[in-house]
Amino acid sequence: MKKTIFHIGTWALISVGIMMASCMDDHDAPDVSNYSITKETSVGDPTITIRDLKDKYASVFTQNNAFTLIEDDEIVEGVVVANDKGGNLYQTLMLAQYDANYDMVDPARCIILAVKNTCLYPYFAYGQMVRVNLKGLYVGCYSKLPKIGQPYYTSSNNLRLGPMLFELCKTNIYLVGKPSDYAGKIKPFVLRDDSHEMFKDPTYQNYKNSPMLVTVVGKFVGGDDKTILAPDELKDAGMGVDRDFKVGNTTITVRTSTQNEVSFLKMPKGTVRLTGVMSYYDGWQIQLRSVEDMQKDMEIISE
Amino acid sequence: MSKCLKLVAILLCVSGTTSAQEVIDSLQSDSYDFTFTESQLDDDNDASQTVSTISSSNNDPYMGEVGYRFSPMRFKVRAYDNMYEQTYMNGLLLNDVETGRFQYSMIGGMNDATRNKEGVADFEYNTFGLTPIGGGSNINVRASAFAAGNKITLSGTNRNYVVRGMYTYATGLMENGWAFAGTIGYRWAKEGVIKGTFYNSLSYLLSVEKRFGEHHALSLVTFGSPTERAQQGASTEEAYWLANSHYYNPYWGYQNGKKRNSRVVHDFEPTAILTWDWKFDDNKKLVTSAGVKYSRYSTSALGWNGDAYDPRPDYYKNLPSSIFDVYDLENRNNPDFLQSNPYFLSQYNDLYNFWTSSEANRQINWDRMYYVNSVQNQNGDETLYYQERRHNNQLVLALNSTFNHNIDINNKYSLGISLNHTTGMHYKTMDDLLGGEFYYDYDKFSANEYGKGSVMNPTEAANDLRNPYKRIYKGDKFGYDYNINVNKAKAWGVIQHTNSTFDIMQGLYIEGTTIERDGKMQNGRAPQNSYGSSGTAKFLGGGGKLLMSYRPFANNLISLGLGWDTNAPLARNVFVAPRMQNNFVDNLHNEDIFSSELSWKFRFGSLTGKFTGFFTRFKNQVEQTAFYNDQENRFTYLTMTGIAKEHYGLEGALVFQVDSKLSFNLMGTISDAKYIDNPYAQVNYEGMNSQTNEQLNSWINAVTGAEMPLRVIMKDIKVGSTPLTAVSFGINYNINSWFLELNANYYDRVYVGYSAYRRLSNVLTNYSATSSIGGKPVFNIDDGSGRTSEQILNEDGGILFDINGNYVDAYSPSLEKYKGGFMLDASIGKNIRLSGGRAISINLSFQNLTNNTNLRTGGFEQNRDDLYSTGVARAYKFSKNSKYYYANAFNAFLNINYRF
Repeated sequence: MKKTIFHIGTWALISVGIMMASCMDDHDAPDVSNYSITKETSVGDPTITIRDLKDKYASVFTQNNAFTLIEDDEIVEGVVVANDKGGNLYQTLMLAQYDANYDMVDPARCIILAVKNTCLYPYFAYGQMVRVNLKGLYVGCYSKLPKIGQPYYTSSNNLRLGPMLFELCKTNIYLVGKPSDYAGKIKPFVLRDDSHEMFKDPTYQNYKNSPMLVTVVGKFVGGDDKTILAPDELKDAGMGVDRDFKVGNTTITVRTSTQNEVSFLKMPKGTVRLTGVMSYYDGWQIQLRSVEDMQKDMEIISE
Repeated sequence: MSKCLKLVAILLCVSGTTSAQEVIDSLQSDSYDFTFTESQLDDDNDASQTVSTISSSNNDPYMGEVGYRFSPMRFKVRAYDNMYEQTYMNGLLLNDVETGRFQYSMIGGMNDATRNKEGVADFEYNTFGLTPIGGGSNINVRASAFAAGNKITLSGTNRNYVVRGMYTYATGLMENGWAFAGTIGYRWAKEGVIKGTFYNSLSYLLSVEKRFGEHHALSLVTFGSPTERAQQGASTEEAYWLANSHYYNPYWGYQNGKKRNSRVVHDFEPTAILTWDWKFDDNKKLVTSAGVKYSRYSTSALGWNGDAYDPRPDYYKNLPSSIFDVYDLENRNNPDFLQSNPYFLSQYNDLYNFWTSSEANRQINWDRMYYVNSVQNQNGDETLYYQERRHNNQLVLALNSTFNHNIDINNKYSLGISLNHTTGMHYKTMDDLLGGEFYYDYDKFSANEYGKGSVMNPTEAANDLRNPYKRIYKGDKFGYDYNINVNKAKAWGVIQHTNSTFDIMQGLYIEGTTIERDGKMQNGRAPQNSYGSSGTAKFLGGGGKLLMSYRPFANNLISLGLGWDTNAPLARNVFVAPRMQNNFVDNLHNEDIFSSELSWKFRFGSLTGKFTGFFTRFKNQVEQTAFYNDQENRFTYLTMTGIAKEHYGLEGALVFQVDSKLSFNLMGTISDAKYIDNPYAQVNYEGMNSQTNEQLNSWINAVTGAEMPLRVIMKDIKVGSTPLTAVSFGINYNINSWFLELNANYYDRVYVGYSAYRRLSNVLTNYSATSSIGGKPVFNIDDGSGRTSEQILNEDGGILFDINGNYVDAYSPSLEKYKGGFMLDASIGKNIRLSGGRAISINLSFQNLTNNTNLRTGGFEQNRDDLYSTGVARAYKFSKNSKYYYANAFNAFLNINYRF
């Protein structure tokens, strides 16, 4: 009996000992303070501005849908003024040219940088200066919208300029400084009415001024404080909904993707201020970046 | 690592100090170590893999061997699910009433303690229960049943674990009527044979028995196997090709230079069984066992905020074949197209190079997730990536009582009752915020569908309206939380008559089952029917079996077995969306099974064998699959009701005993197992409310516009992930306590696991006749691929309607059949008898000697189709990219026993 008790005691001790052995699934959090999905060393100094890039490749930017391969090192720089944080822009960043002379970001000199990934905003925050080596990438237009990316077939089986591979961020993109260095220098181009030439003069309505970061003041057609911007049942083949918005006497389109936070914004009755990515196809169109990009008239008055 | 090794060493040292006891062991029990079961039984297969049905009939040369022999291919006897086999311990039924299955992991690592078992096939008489069509086994762990003495087992292998140590001690039945036995084991691998997996498992079993005179004995046994192990995931052939290995595991990635697995199982099912043996006399015995089990099972998994990029490394958008349709040789994958569109090949090569240039690139990128969450922290936002832990705990109270009476040498019967109350507790917790600070508990996909509080004020997105949009921190429950309560009561009886020319065995049972869901959260998509009780569903079932055997002449037995069962559906299948709401599935009925077999068992001199033909038909079955629906980006439940299946085939075994040392055996099966009808379907997206889900379940007649009941086109679809053809030839040789065994196995007709989603009647293309000639509808079926309409229907599936909208026919998309292949296994062992009753046995077994790494054991189709919602074909072809598991490459298992 003593032996038995001895054995039982032995087993109990061993059991407790082994159970106290450390868990094998313990992991220390990694130090990510220097983590980056982009190239860790510079891709080189800028060789061309966004404005000059558009001029240089005007032959493709003037078409509806066209693109061309950049075969040499051509380095363009811009500040992220729009990203996908609000869920309304998909695989999309908008870069704006930084004007060192005025120490300001130029909201009218922009281009889309499309990257094949969702939730780009933690990597490319608002205000982040981005330098892109275009070698191996494509520049061109997607429905007249100037863009940097790579070709793909759309869900409508059309060959278009789509997003660049996320993996190429590691070779073609370099982040300069921190987002806070430039965020305060971004001021959207404000259009309080339709008096600006861009609404009337066709020479303004092209790739040179598209896309832009703008703030427009006006009213939704059919705004009733109830109807939401983009109900799923109204979505078109591009998974978006268009709403008419009056700036003065000119109607522009507010285009919103379905199934995101912005899509549930109600269209107010009164005057509102919209900020977002404005582009031109056969009329001006604006896409909000986030829910904060719609401010009601009371908020405007209180400013 | 060092700590674990030290503990194992201590275990061995301590056991060495125990006193020697006389060992009385039969050669037969020794020989168990020379089968392949030693390691396979406690491999603790991943839940995602099929687990081989392990029939172990002691009296059947086929059933007694087949489970072991074919287990490397996850062979399922007659293609039956494991739920159709029962496992008892000391007479107590241990099958999980929610899943129907016995979890082999609960006795993992205690092989030496659980090898004393009685196994029976479907139509065999037994004393512990009326077993279902897969048979059953009863493990005897009464302390008095252990051979007195000590036993140490040391094992080394290159499988899920790399080392194993077990120590068993038993007193045998002592003069004072007491008997004690216990075993303790430990299995460990810093990294198993599959990269990124580890294994850390302790096992214990303690048994005590007290005899009270000649007639009564009480036995108490408690056991458990606390285990922590990392899992292996299936992947596509493309991913295996890029990783240059069929054992690529997408579940792990590097973190701080160490491998971290995203799927880690924690499993501990402590169980206690009290058994009262009342022996009236030599012919009458009452065995009553009561048991309690509190199991804690959980597995971790990556989670991500709805819009965040899918972190799985083999997510299809990361693969080169997502760039262009590599299977379209005519329009895409040809030199002309690729030269004129060089950007496609360029992107393809970029992804190919990314995958192949570094192992880290094709694994989970933990650093990236931590980085993203750190940015979220800086902005005061919730975490985008996290690791959740899904818990499936159970509290089980069970009782079995069996009365056995051997009336005379020709007649005997058994009567029994079985009671079970199970509360299954299902919820998930935040396992790791991956550097993030908090997470909001609401359904992110639902928020995209209906909006959420900050924008509108809808309730749908809330996972718990009683705590809406709650901030979740590590360890907090979130998402879902519910209990499933199941009660079962069964009474059964079986009687057998034998004489010199014929036997007859008849068994009957009646069974009652109640099932209830008790929601602990009020889900915003089902506010009225998610919190509290679902009400109770009640099922009354029963059945019986009849075996008639005839001996036409000596050593020959011909048997006919017939069985019929009508049982409650499994609790895990009866709720439309158990994580979300209380609703029961529509059209719930008992499941019916008709089973039959005709067998011939014989001995002609040195040749013994058995051949069996079997036919089983299932009716009114319910099956539910729950999966992340890539097509809709939603967690989806798909329940099929009214399923009808047939399993039939031939199986047999021959053993030719050349002399006492040498024998040859041949065994195999050729069978079929398929769906024979198109069951009803019910679909539920977890992120959608009842109105939206109702729309999902509509199937509209394209001609008449009438709504039809949703179906899954399953007719002629095979049961997957098990060989329907398997043959084995083996040689056994033993001389001077040496044992040699060589088995050549051939496997074929293994099918991939089907996707019911891809076969939904509202997902498949519906064709309407363009005209009618002579009363026969004429169809214009052309997808531009150059295939004939018959080819299109047979490969892609489709449903045909005539010009008036009447149903004509339905075709299910073809199901992939794997290539067959050989596997060669061998084993060599030696028994060494030492003085004082001590003995050492050494066994070295090899599996897959020819290193055939191309044998697929299972897998599943992806739940997504090849078309965009626009009807345009995607570049990536889900239909050609199922996910597969492969049989282990060449592996060895060394086992050393020392008895003293």
